[in-house]
Amino acid sequence: MVGILEVKELTTGYGEKEVLKNISFDLKDGEVLGIIGPNGSGKSTLIKAITGVIPIWSGEVNYDKKNIDELHRRERAHIIGVVPQDTFINFPFTSWEVVMMGRNPYLGRFENPKKEDDLAVKKAMEATKTLRFKDQSVRELSGGELQRVVVARALAQEPNLIFLDEATSHLDIGHKLEIMDLMKDRVKQRDVGVLSIHHNLNLAARYCDKIVLLDEGKVHAKGSPKEVLTRAHLRAVYGIEAEVDKNPRDGSLYVTPIKRKVMKEDKEEVVHVVCGGGTGGTLLKELVEHGYEVTTGVLNVMDSDQKMADFLDLRCVTEAPFSSISEKTKSENLKLIKEADLVMGTDFAIGPGNLDNLKDLLYAAESGKKVVLLERTGFQKRNHVGSKGDKIYRELTAKSDVKIFTGIEEIMRKLDEGNI
Amino acid sequence: MIKKNTGWIIAGLTVLLLITAIYSATVGTADISFKEVVWITLSEVPLINRYVTAPEGSPRTIVVLIRLPRIVLGIIAGISLSVSGTSMQGIFKNPMASPFILGVSAGGGLGAAVGFFLGVSFFYLPLLAFLTALGTVFLVFALGRVRGKTDVATLLLAGLAMNFLMSGLTSYIRYMSPPDKMVQMQILSFMLGNLNEAAWNQIYITLPIMIVGVALVFAYSRDLNVIQMGEGSALQLGVDVETTKFVQLVTSSLLAATMVAFTGIIGFVGLMIPHGARLMVGPEHKRLIPTAALMGGIFLILCDTISRMMGEIPVGIITVLLGSPFFIYLLIRNRGDTGW
Repeated sequence: MVGILEVKELTTGYGEKEVLKNISFDLKDGEVLGIIGPNGSGKSTLIKAITGVIPIWSGEVNYDKKNIDELHRRERAHIIGVVPQDTFINFPFTSWEVVMMGRNPYLGRFENPKKEDDLAVKKAMEATKTLRFKDQSVRELSGGELQRVVVARALAQEPNLIFLDEATSHLDIGHKLEIMDLMKDRVKQRDVGVLSIHHNLNLAARYCDKIVLLDEGKVHAKGSPKEVLTRAHLRAVYGIEAEVDKNPRDGSLYVTPIKRKVMKEDKEEVVHVVCGGGTGGTLLKELVEHGYEVTTGVLNVMDSDQKMADFLDLRCVTEAPFSSISEKTKSENLKLIKEADLVMGTDFAIGPGNLDNLKDLLYAAESGKKVVLLERTGFQKRNHVGSKGDKIYRELTAKSDVKIFTGIEEIMRKLDEGNI
Repeated sequence: MIKKNTGWIIAGLTVLLLITAIYSATVGTADISFKEVVWITLSEVPLINRYVTAPEGSPRTIVVLIRLPRIVLGIIAGISLSVSGTSMQGIFKNPMASPFILGVSAGGGLGAAVGFFLGVSFFYLPLLAFLTALGTVFLVFALGRVRGKTDVATLLLAGLAMNFLMSGLTSYIRYMSPPDKMVQMQILSFMLGNLNEAAWNQIYITLPIMIVGVALVFAYSRDLNVIQMGEGSALQLGVDVETTKFVQLVTSSLLAATMVAFTGIIGFVGLMIPHGARLMVGPEHKRLIPTAALMGGIFLILCDTISRMMGEIPVGIITVLLGSPFFIYLLIRNRGDTGW
C-alpha cells in the first residue's frame, strides 16, 4: 500500500508572526520531495508544523486520510522520523543508545528494549556504517559520524516518511552524497517517502523527484526539478542570475549561480548597444546592473554577445548564425535605435556581413541620438572591409554628439555622473 | 565503555550502603560493635524480631533513638538530593545544574531565617522553610513560562534571579538579628546543612516523599534520555516534552524542598553525585538514577560520620570539603575531553 502525506492549506507561525501561509503539497511513499527557498522562507518551520513541534493555525495534514495532528505523539513518530540539521548532546551517550532512542515511540514507559528493537537498531547502524562505533560516546564522534548516527536513529524509528531538515548541510560533499544515496536507496527498496530541505540547489535537483520552492512563507513554485529550477524562479526568489543546464552524465539539472542580481534603482533611460563577437558582453552586463534598460542588435544567433543578451533577458534583434544582416532585421534594429535614449557601439570586428551595424551607428548619430563608442583596439585593426568601412567611421566620429572612450569603467562612471 | 554490568554495580552499591550505614552506627563516644548494631537493628524490624532479640539497655537506646534515625535521614537526604540533581541536570541538559538551581535552597533559607528570627517552634520551622522553598520555585516557574511552555533557558535565569533575591533577604535578616549568638548560629547551621536534629518522625514524613519522588523521576527516565537530543527532536520521537519537564522539575524541587526543610542546605551532593554516577554507568537515566541514588546515600552517611567524628561540625561543610577536591579531580581527568 502506498501512503500519501497531504498538506492542505497549512498556515502557521510563531507567537503573532505568521511564517507560512496556505502551503499545499503532497508526498507519496517512494518519492523524494525537496523543499527549497531562501533563508527565512519557512522551510524548517514547515517541518516543525507537520511534526507537531509547533501548532498548526489552519489547514490540515493527512497521512493515509488520517489527520496526523489528531494522532498521539507516539503514533505520529511511527509515521515520521526527522533528521535535524545538527544535534548537540551534552552527556556521553553511546551511539547505540542514541540510535535506540529511535525506538522510543514503540516502547512503553516501563518496557525495556526487546529483540526486535535491538534488531532494528542494528540494521539501522549497519545501513549507516555506524555499527563499528556503537559503544563509543557520541561526544567523541566527528560531525559526519554523529550525523550518520542521527540518520540511523531516524531509520531505527522505522517511519513511513523521513524528513531531512537540512540534514547534510554541515557535512562534506562525500558524506552529503552518502546520506542522500542512502535515502534514495530506502525510497526505492522500502517505499518510504523522503521530504528533504535543501540549501544546495544541485543536491535538490539531483535527488528530488519533486520540488517545492518557498518564498516568504508561500509556495512560489512546485513540480519537477525542471519545472521549478528555472532561471526566472531563481531570479524572483533568490535574486540571483544563474545558469541552469543539464548534467550530460546523468541528465539531472545543475544550477550555476553567476551573480547576485544587483538591486540598483531602475533607471528610465534605454540604452541600445551595437556589438558582436564578444566585444559587448561585459558592457551589456554592466549596463543592466547599473539599472539601465538595455536593448541590442543586430547579433548572430550563437554569437557570444547574443548568448549574454539572452542570459540577461534583453530585447535583442538577431540574425541566423553566420548570415549577413537582412533588410528585415536591419529595420528592427533601427526601430530599437529610435526608441533608445543613448546608443553605444563597441569595437567589434567589421566584415561584409555586419557592415550594416556600423551604418546603423551612423544613422543613430545622424538622427540626433547621443552615440558612445568603445574603442580599445583601434579601428584599422578591426576593419576588414577596407575603404567602405573607413568612410563610414570617419563620418561617424566627425559628429559632435559622438564620444569615444577606451574603457568600460570610464563609460559607466561618466554615465552614472550624467556626463554623457 | 560498555555498561552491561549495571545490575552488579547496583547490587554492589546496595551492599556498600548497608555496610556503611551499620559501620556509621558503631561510630561515637559509646563503644558499640558492628555485630551489636546488626542485632539491635534486626530486633526492631517487624517479623524478624520474632527470631532475633537484643538486650535492652543503653546501647540499644543509643542505636535506635539517636544513631539510626540520623543515618536513615542521611540516606534519605542523600538519595533525594542526588536524584533531584540528576533530574535537574537532565532537564537543563547541563551538568552544572543542581537541586537548588530553581531557588529551593535560597527560598528555604529565607523561611528558616525568618523562623529563627521570630523564634518559631521547631515543629513549625521545617514547614515554614518548606513553604518558602516551594513558593520561590513557584515564582520561578511563573517567570519561566513562555507562551504556555516552560522555557528552560528563561527558567534558569529566573532561578538565578530568585536565588539572589532570597539570599539577599536572608542576609538582611541575619544582619538585623540581635547579636544573640543563638539565632546567628541557628541560621548558619541551617545554611550549612546538618543531620543533628534527626528523629524518627522526620523519617515518617520524608521517606514517603522520597519514595514517590524517586519513583516519578524514574518513571520519566527514558523521556529524560530522549530530551537530551533537544526538545524538538524529543517531540518528534514521541516524547511529551512539556509533561516530562513539569513532572521532573516539580518532583525534583519537591524532593529538594523537603530535604532543605529538615536538614538545611546540604550542598554539593546533588551537583556532584550525578557526575560520579555517570562515570560509573553512563548517562542513560534508567541506570543513572538508581546508581546516583545509592551513591548519594553512601556519600552522605560517610560525610555525616566524619562530621560526628570531628565533633558535630555541620555535614554541609564536609560534603563541600570532600566533594570539591573530587570535583576538581574529575575536571582535570576530563579536561579537554568530551564532556562529563
